[in-house]
Amino acid sequence: MIRTTCLSYSVGSFELREINLHVARGEHFVLLGPPGSGKSVFLECLCGLNRIDAGRIHIDGEDVTRLEPRLRRIGYVPQDYALFPHLSVDRNIAFGLAARGMKWRAAQPRIYRIAELLDISYLLGRTTAGLSGGERQRVALARALVLEPVVLLLDEPVSALDEVTRQEVCREIRQVQRALQITTIHVSHNLEEACTLADRAGLIRDGRFLQIGTIDALLRRPCDEQVARFMRCENIYAGETAGSSADGSATRVRLGDGEVELTVPGRWQGPLKILFRPEQVRLETPCRDEAIAGENHVLLRVVRFHDTLSHVRVTLNGPLKLVAHISHESFARLQAGEGSRLLAGVDRDAIHVIEES
Amino acid sequence: MNGVADGTRFRGGRTARGTPRESSKPPKFTGRRTVRGWRTWLAGGTALAFLVLFLAFVAVLILADAFYIDGAAIEQLLSSSYIGHSLWMSVWTSVTTVVIALVFAIPAGYALSRFRFPLRVLADTLVDLPIVFPPLVAGLTLLVFFSRTALGRWIQNDLGLEFVFQPAGIVLCQFLVSASFAIRSAKTAFDEVDRRLESVALTLGCTPIRCFFRVSLPLAANGILTGAILTWARAFGLFGPLIIFVGSFRGRTEVLSTTIFLEQSVGNLELALTVALLMIAVALACLVAVRCIGGRTSMRY
Repeated sequence: MIRTTCLSYSVGSFELREINLHVARGEHFVLLGPPGSGKSVFLECLCGLNRIDAGRIHIDGEDVTRLEPRLRRIGYVPQDYALFPHLSVDRNIAFGLAARGMKWRAAQPRIYRIAELLDISYLLGRTTAGLSGGERQRVALARALVLEPVVLLLDEPVSALDEVTRQEVCREIRQVQRALQITTIHVSHNLEEACTLADRAGLIRDGRFLQIGTIDALLRRPCDEQVARFMRCENIYAGETAGSSADGSATRVRLGDGEVELTVPGRWQGPLKILFRPEQVRLETPCRDEAIAGENHVLLRVVRFHDTLSHVRVTLNGPLKLVAHISHESFARLQAGEGSRLLAGVDRDAIHVIEES
Repeated sequence: MNGVADGTRFRGGRTARGTPRESSKPPKFTGRRTVRGWRTWLAGGTALAFLVLFLAFVAVLILADAFYIDGAAIEQLLSSSYIGHSLWMSVWTSVTTVVIALVFAIPAGYALSRFRFPLRVLADTLVDLPIVFPPLVAGLTLLVFFSRTALGRWIQNDLGLEFVFQPAGIVLCQFLVSASFAIRSAKTAFDEVDRRLESVALTLGCTPIRCFFRVSLPLAANGILTGAILTWARAFGLFGPLIIFVGSFRGRTEVLSTTIFLEQSVGNLELALTVALLMIAVALACLVAVRCIGGRTSMRY
């Protein structure tokens, strides 16, 4: 539905370099990245607000590279919503319809329909002053959707909202996107948002894509350490291969000073990096005979732990520094505290290997 | 009430105890009430004192003029046809100047605010040059241009656009001296319009021209109006360049400011001050009217 081919754009010292992206019809694609990575600039290039230096943009098969923004059939919701302060809510929503020559009377049914869909009918007729963040976001979304765009671009639509409102609005965005089957590119720096909304995601940094794929692929099979760290994979270790497993389907990897050896899937040679997510770590009370602990287990000491809403984050140290996220119930059963010795284990298949270049 | 818990709300707006229903409106926010120490009060009082001093200074000067005049001067003012004509000349020339200045100021201010072109910084600086012109120099420059240069003579003689010692020359003089205020104010007003609003308007289907008229101009309107007020005030009270460029011919190029000069130069100070108070009254009325109109004006769909 929307495709960029070798898209390049530079402004000042920043450069978008040969961006190749394809988002299929009806897909919700989340563009992740740290601040300053080029996410918003990329969206503005898609809108036609920035004239690209090289490459092509196709929307629904049509080359829109040199088309004016108004002709690209794109709905754009900027980061701060950009509601027109001199117009009321319904006039804001109808702004694009008026620009396309629709009279006010003819526009009203469409305004009411979209307001009903986004649950903002009660705001019609009001000024934009005094609207809450969630209300402003919905009005901006209504203003874009009322034009029935082919592609919807959302630039951090919920970053300015409180936690509760953010989750509510994310659910609404998902419902609306599914209902209208509208191709969406959604910029965010929030991982939870991406996990809630994305069919696929891409991580951009310093103007280029590091990895594009499903959220699961970015989380569990990041292509390099940068991606892994952004996706909050904290257990990243450098190591050296130390031979294959008995059946040849796995490789033993010696980490750090060689005190710890893990078995990873696949056949590898030479230096490499391995990683696994904190959620994939199991913590157990050590049994008397450590030798029967099994593959990929190591005895560590709890350095600290703290509760979050969904899990307990446990930091352990020893021959390996490791972070684990386990459920409150599991942690309570361990009856562990700071200084406790626990057996940390991870399944072979949960370990991902990044080959050192 | 029997069988009903206290505090239960009824459709009639009373609770079970018969007390009026609590208002569903939030309490009115009456403003900040921060804790203030004596230093804060002292600083605030000092700031207010400067404001009061300035206003008192202006008021005292106006009152001094007012107490100087007498009934005879007022009677002469009201019965004088040339002062009426002078007032009319002042009003229509200054209003015409404002209109022409805005015609220049709005696009010029937008260009300075939004466009990137070579020597933009120089152009931005030169816009303010007429403000710092000594007023007499402005009049002298115009006189020399139209009477001593080929281009000026061609404009007057071949095109038939006469300015020297003519009413049109009043407008030209006022425009030269005061249009910079309008341009500067327009530029500042457009600077304060968030460019993201314009960007969104373009994605919603606006052409750049429509975006300008539907978004940029309405949002810059208050700043432009302020510039128009400053332009009009400068034009209305202009004196020095007019004396040199158009003179003060009674019934033709005489405006209120030159009337004051002429009357006081023949010793008729009471009438001069009466005309001065008339100028102040007209200016005040226009300022108030424009402020009121500007506060109610809004661009429609």
